Amino acid sequence: MNRPPTWMHIRIQGERRGFGLWLPLFLLLPLALVVLIILSPLILISVLILLPGGRALWALRVLRAAFGVFCSLRGIRIDIQSRYQSVYISVV
Amino acid sequence: MTENRKKILEMLAEKKISVDDAYRLLNTIDSAESGQESTSKGGTTAKAKPKYLRVTVLPDAEHEHSQNVDRVNVRIPMSLIRAGIKLTSLIPSEARDKVNGALREKGINFDVRNVKPDDLEELIGSLSELEVDVVSAKGEKVKVFVE
Repeated sequence: MNRPPTWMHIRIQGERRGFGLWLPLFLLLPLALVVLIILSPLILISVLILLPGGRALWALRVLRAAFGVFCSLRGIRIDIQSRYQSVYISVV
Repeated sequence: MTENRKKILEMLAEKKISVDDAYRLLNTIDSAESGQESTSKGGTTAKAKPKYLRVTVLPDAEHEHSQNVDRVNVRIPMSLIRAGIKLTSLIPSEARDKVNGALREKGINFDVRNVKPDDLEELIGSLSELEVDVVSAKGEKVKVFVE
């Protein structure tokens, strides 16, 4: 699995004005960890409920796959320029 | 410049081949040379693994400085495609049956349950030879390729 992305750069340029944003994606991971710790009792209860149906394992796999997709975002680059507008999104 | 390149350019100058043919032949030589380089550098690997799927929409030579033509440059990591396809294995069995049924209705006889990780690697590996080149009447050049 790749390293998780650290920054997302968004730049939107309109006809008159535009803006650029650097989103610190690396801050999402500690944030997610905090949320995970806070919600851990609820997660434990839901795992216990889902365990007999075999859905708990599936839910964990989905979480792992979702994290895999998030990590794979590194390197994505979208650059669209029209006559009056331009949009640039990059994940590094 | 290698001997082969010279020959291709001579044939083009003599109008024995078209510009497209010359371009294709030069590309073939390029890829063969880069393949040899990677073999000599890496030892056993003949072809580098594709890293990105690229989609570009650019104006052709005539409209290069025109403001009316949109420009698109998209780079998608292969790992994202791989991760996305892997998600299909997590589709619940009931949903999978529905997907299969919908595909069958559209005349596509394909079972999503048969998609295996090895097949995915083969599929992504074969994408390295993908190249779509379209020139529209509006003066746009659309290219889909991997790098």
